[in-house]
Amino acid sequence: MAIVAQSSKFGKVFWPVLAWTVALVFFFPIFWMVFTSFKTDADAVKPEHLFVFKPTLENYLNMTENYDYWRFAINSVITSTFATALTLVVGVPAAYAMAFDPSKATKDILVWMLSTKMLPAAAVLYPMTFLTKNFLGIYDTKFLIILVLSLINLPIVIWMLFTYFKEIPREIIEAGKMDGVSTWGEIKDILVPLAWGGVASTALLCFIFCWNEAYWTVRLTTTEAATLSKLIEGNRAPEGLFFGRLSAVSTAAVGPIVVLGWFCQKQLVQGLTFGAVK
Amino acid sequence: MSKRTLPRLLQTPAVLLLLMWMLVPLGMTLYFSFIRYVLNSLRRPEWTTPSLSNWRGFGNYEYVLFKAKDFWFAVQNSVLIVGSVIILTVVLGLAIAVLINRSFPGRGIVRVLLISPFFVMPAVNAVLWINMILDPVLGLNGLAVAGLNEMIAGLKSFPVLGGFFSLWPEIEPISFRATQTSAIAVIIMVTWQWTPFAVLIFMTSLQSEDQQQKEAAILDGANAWSMFRNLTLPHLGRPIAIVVMIQAIFHLSLYAEIEIVSRGNGNKNLPYLIGEFATNNIGAASATGIIAVILANIVAIFLLRMVGKSLMD
Repeated sequence: MAIVAQSSKFGKVFWPVLAWTVALVFFFPIFWMVFTSFKTDADAVKPEHLFVFKPTLENYLNMTENYDYWRFAINSVITSTFATALTLVVGVPAAYAMAFDPSKATKDILVWMLSTKMLPAAAVLYPMTFLTKNFLGIYDTKFLIILVLSLINLPIVIWMLFTYFKEIPREIIEAGKMDGVSTWGEIKDILVPLAWGGVASTALLCFIFCWNEAYWTVRLTTTEAATLSKLIEGNRAPEGLFFGRLSAVSTAAVGPIVVLGWFCQKQLVQGLTFGAVK
Repeated sequence: MSKRTLPRLLQTPAVLLLLMWMLVPLGMTLYFSFIRYVLNSLRRPEWTTPSLSNWRGFGNYEYVLFKAKDFWFAVQNSVLIVGSVIILTVVLGLAIAVLINRSFPGRGIVRVLLISPFFVMPAVNAVLWINMILDPVLGLNGLAVAGLNEMIAGLKSFPVLGGFFSLWPEIEPISFRATQTSAIAVIIMVTWQWTPFAVLIFMTSLQSEDQQQKEAAILDGANAWSMFRNLTLPHLGRPIAIVVMIQAIFHLSLYAEIEIVSRGNGNKNLPYLIGEFATNNIGAASATGIIAVILANIVAIFLLRMVGKSLMD
């Protein structure tokens, strides 16, 4: 870039150093959490062992004992996976129809869908609890969490998919029709390969949102369907006694998702901005 | 089958699901907001079951708006938190995006490090910040201040400088669990989580900026600041609007952070206030909920108008 070429010698060193510093500052809390997870609970709060300590895996090994980690983790995996699947099953056909066969109402429907995302959860929590506890009997079941997770993510997912689908050139599909490709062949050989990337990154992002959701999963579960968010919220006040273990369980709760996020950061931008940033 | 049937059919499940999701609980909330309905009452046991005979009209709304002491505080606090976070993330996001919008060694790693906070579970974010970083005794905040005090105490014994340092007061760490500061703690942690999102979006947008235009501006003798103001900032208008909109959607319903930092002690937003009412007074909770829905819709209409048009072309 021409602009960079013009920058002074000082700038050539200063700006990258500043960029690195900012990045390290932003990453520091995560680093600190992972770092602390290798300390014993006693070491974690001792100033003299702030940086120098004997690393231990004890916290990770005792996670089941202290926190029953696996039960929550399995619930998180199950609910997030099925909710993502359900969201896609409902969202892909809808987004496909809106992108390839828009009607006059399509725009309004899309905006309305997004506006359901602004419905404050707190406003409808009590009726949901009431309904699911007293009438439907599905309170604190994985089924309910899966349903709620997919409902709250559906608007964003449809928007993202719509954005991706709209970028697939229609000419390709029309050319396929000319050549006498069947509807099924059209889907299998033309559409799927082209849309695959978009659907995959939407699924990834939906999974991340499901995994991190706290409001509904904490409030609509007690023990049976409780996820990792609930586990962390339940241990919100460790009073400094269990920094080591808490760090380990927190690392185990966010680690997989952060790594997953690294891989889909580019698609994330494209999808979450609804293609408005080019 | 007419040409329009198939696309309609494909959209139906999504539309129906969202419609039910919106109407059923919202209808119930609306109903509860007009009746007297409490979970526990020894004095008036008839109020503990939702029934039309407990009709209260706008009484719940009156109670929430004019008698309950925390309502306006919660509204103010919501605005404070959402507004501060949006301003901070946009300003920081812009600065950082411009900073890393050039090639330098390790740029890929810098990107990965910067984006990471966005994927951290909000519950973990709050627990981590309030206990391990901001805590005035055991967190880094407390440890750093204690270390600083110790250093100053050590310097006091120096021959000449000692006299100067002995004038320094002992520093107290800020407690982020107190009434006013707990809102600041929430703002810090949410800003930390969402600045990466702003950075990512602004950076993508910067990369698509017209470089030839910039080069022409340089030839015309434009300086860096005027180029940023006149070329880059207008180019970023749309992404800024999107960052503001998405954050407004997510932060209006902020809850976990508030709960974990202070359990609403002096620092609550509307969702939290509704949660507090809902421990007993469902009528008041529902009325607050309906007010929150109305406020959110005003914001939504405003925001969607701002970006809605540009989304469709």
